[in-house]
Amino acid sequence: MHTHRELVEKSKLGDRVSQYKLYELYVDAMYNVSMRMMKIKEDAEDVVQDSFIEAFNNMASFRYESTFGSWLKRIVVNKSINQLKKKKIPVVSIEKEMYHIKSDIEDEDTSVLDIKKIIKSIELLPAGYQQIINLYLVEGYDHVEISEILEISTSTSKSQYHRAKKKLIEIIKTL
Amino acid sequence: MDKFEKYIRENSNAFDIHKPNKDKLWANIEAKLEKQDTKPKVIRLWNRTAFKVAASIVLAFGLFTAVNIMTSNSNSKSNYFVSQELEDIDSHYSGLVAYQVKLINNTPKLTNEEKKDFLSFMDDLDAEYEILKEELKKNIDNERVLEAIVINYKKRIELIENLLNQINSSNKTNDEDVYIL
Repeated sequence: MHTHRELVEKSKLGDRVSQYKLYELYVDAMYNVSMRMMKIKEDAEDVVQDSFIEAFNNMASFRYESTFGSWLKRIVVNKSINQLKKKKIPVVSIEKEMYHIKSDIEDEDTSVLDIKKIIKSIELLPAGYQQIINLYLVEGYDHVEISEILEISTSTSKSQYHRAKKKLIEIIKTL
Repeated sequence: MDKFEKYIRENSNAFDIHKPNKDKLWANIEAKLEKQDTKPKVIRLWNRTAFKVAASIVLAFGLFTAVNIMTSNSNSKSNYFVSQELEDIDSHYSGLVAYQVKLINNTPKLTNEEKKDFLSFMDDLDAEYEILKEELKKNIDNERVLEAIVINYKKRIELIENLLNQINSSNKTNDEDVYIL
């Protein structure tokens, strides 16, 4: 919980060396978070830059309620979502039809447990589905957090996720 | 959570496939942070230090006036009174200079060499000033001695102004530690 406390405290005082050390520790992970959402290198770079600047300018509001990494990641995720919205890229699927969510029949099917195939298949999902799969499975947010990030209800988050997951498994099986 | 979900979460590291251009990104971040730093904080510093310089100028001007009064009235007024007034201004001024010297010694913004340069010059002027004061005691209405004292004060102000410029120019490239000053 209190990893890098010293770096964080010094960064709060504006110490550039400590800020750089924090940057170095987290930039790879944050860039990947943003790349997964933004898809375009330049867009991801802008998000990462702005996120670090915002983080360093608002260090005082970080009070160790989470790890610094997850605090920072949330800034990156929020900025990415905002950018996508600005670019009018759907952050949630606009499909309205409700699927009947079956219990996970794929449970026993180990052929879908191939990380390379999974990564490839996520890329092939419609944009709105990609975000919820990323947020839930890769970034590890729960539906309450996702509902805040995407400004949707938790039940929408759940139903969207299940539809996205179903679609994802379909794609994996075609590969 | 089913097997599929667990599998992905356990292998989420595999998704980190991109490598950022660290140096480029940091350069942009740092540039923006610097820009923000130099704006509000340095204005504060400038105001504070400028205030000190302004105060020094006012004091020097006051002294100059005192010297003028003294020289024009040197015969009618009591020499003791004028030199007393001069001494009051002196003690105030030297207190201010001592305070500034202390501040300069404490600022992390300047290199030791810059500090040393500045302080050695100040010491020279102090020594000169002591000599002039001795001269003044011997001959209170000596206009040339008084003029030399004024020049001495002016030099100190000039020195502080130079230092101020140095601090401000180094601000553009570095850090916000300065606002301590």
